[in-house]
Amino acid sequence: MSALGVLLRKELHAAFTSPVAWAVSGVFLLVAGYTFSLSLFMSKVANLTYVFHQVYILLVLLVPVITMRSFAEERKAGTLELLLTAPVREIWVVLAKYLSCLALVAVMLLASTSYAAVLALYGEPDLAPIAGGYLALLLLASLLVGVGTLWSSVTENQVVAASASLGTFLMLWFADSVAYILPAPVDLFFVNLSLLGHFAPFVSGSVFLSDVGYYLTGTLLALFLTTRALADR
Amino acid sequence: MVELRKVTKRYGPHLAVRDVTLSVAEGEVLGLLGPNGSGKTTLLRMLTGAHTPTSGQLTVAGFDSVRQPLEARRRVGYVPESHPLYDHMRVRELLSFMAALRGVERRAIPGAVGEVAESLAVKDVLEVPIRHLSRGYRQRVAIAQALVHRPPVLVLDEPTNGLDPRQIIETRNLIRGLAGRCTVIMSSHILSEIARTVDRVAILLRGGLLTVRSMAETPDLEALFLSLA
Repeated sequence: MSALGVLLRKELHAAFTSPVAWAVSGVFLLVAGYTFSLSLFMSKVANLTYVFHQVYILLVLLVPVITMRSFAEERKAGTLELLLTAPVREIWVVLAKYLSCLALVAVMLLASTSYAAVLALYGEPDLAPIAGGYLALLLLASLLVGVGTLWSSVTENQVVAASASLGTFLMLWFADSVAYILPAPVDLFFVNLSLLGHFAPFVSGSVFLSDVGYYLTGTLLALFLTTRALADR
Repeated sequence: MVELRKVTKRYGPHLAVRDVTLSVAEGEVLGLLGPNGSGKTTLLRMLTGAHTPTSGQLTVAGFDSVRQPLEARRRVGYVPESHPLYDHMRVRELLSFMAALRGVERRAIPGAVGEVAESLAVKDVLEVPIRHLSRGYRQRVAIAQALVHRPPVLVLDEPTNGLDPRQIIETRNLIRGLAGRCTVIMSSHILSEIARTVDRVAILLRGGLLTVRSMAETPDLEALFLSLA
C-alpha cells in the first residue's frame, strides 16, 4: 500500500469513529431533515432549493468542527512529529487529512439524497437543479474543508482552528457586501470572492465553469498553503 | 553513518544551533549533553528530518537531509522526548501503522512487529490500547515504533526523562544492547546517564558544539562539563 493509502486508512478510521463525527452527522441530518419536511409540507413543491441553502449554512457552521482536529490535535499530542519524520511527503499527510474530512461530509450529503429520492417517488422534480445543488454542496465542502485544514495546520489549539475557520467562512460569505462602498473595478474582486454568489447559480440548475473554478482554485490554494505550512520547518 | 558539516539552525532572529560539525560512526552510541536551551533537541530534530538546517550539510547513511529527505528519513528511527503515541490505537495497530508508513512491505509487517515486540518485551501488551499502558511500557512502545523498520540510526530525545530508577536501568541496558547493531544518538542533561550509556559525548552550549570526547578517555565527565560550561 502506498504512503497515501496508509495515511488515508488511519485518517478515515479516526474521522469516522470520533464522537465529533457522530455528533456533527446527527446535528446535520436532524436539521436538514427538519428543513426538508417543513419546506415540503408548507410549499408542497418538489424541489430542494430551500434545503440546499439550509445545508450551505450548516456546512459553514459544522465544517470547522470537523476539520479543527486534523492537525491541531496531532500537534498538541506531539504525534505530528512521528508523521513528519516518516519518509512521506508533506502533501500526502495533508491530502490524507483533507480527504478523510471531505469523505465524512460526503457521507452526510449522501444520506441527505434520501430527500431527493422521496421527491422522485411521490412527485416529478426537476432533476437538473437537484444535481447542480449537490455538485455545489460538494464543491463548497471541498473549499471549506481545505480552508479548515489550513487553519488546523498552523495552531495546536482546536478551538482557535475552529474559530479562525468559521471567521474565514463568514468573511467569504459576506465578501460581496463590501462591494457597495468600493469603487470599480475593486468592487468586482469582492463580488467574485463571495461564497454564496458562486453557490446560488448551481441551485437554480445553472453550472458555470467560473463557479466550479472558484471552488477548485480555493481548495487547491488552501491545500498548497497547508503543505507549505508543514514543510516550512 | 551520520555527518554534520557546519550545520546551523535559525528560528527568525534566534540562533538555535550554530556551525556544528560532527560525525558519528556506524554502531556508535553518541550522547548530546548540555543544559536546557543548548540546542540538543533542535540538533536531534534536524537529524530526524523534523526540521531542516538553515545552512550547512547533514547526511544520514550518505543521504543529504535536504536534497534526499525521504531517503534520509527512511534510515532514522526517532523517539521524541514525551513519547507521543496514538492513544486510541492498540500497540499492534500502532507498530503496524508505523512499519507501513516507513516502507516495510505489507507481507513483512506482521514479522517485523513480532520481532520488535519480542526484543523490547512488549509482546504481552500488543492487543492493549496505548492509553492503558504504564509509563514504562509506553516508553518501550515508543522505542519499538522507532525500530520497527530496522533503521540504521536511532535518535532518542531525553530517553530517561520521567522514568523510575528501574525503568532508567532498563532503558540504559536497551540502548547499550543496540550498540554495534545500530548507530544511537541520544540527548540528556543528566551527566550520570550519559556517562554510563554512551561511547562518546558531544557537549553543547548556547547552540555551539564545545567538544566531543570518548568516554574511555573521560574519567570525570562532571569535571569536564563544569570546566567548559
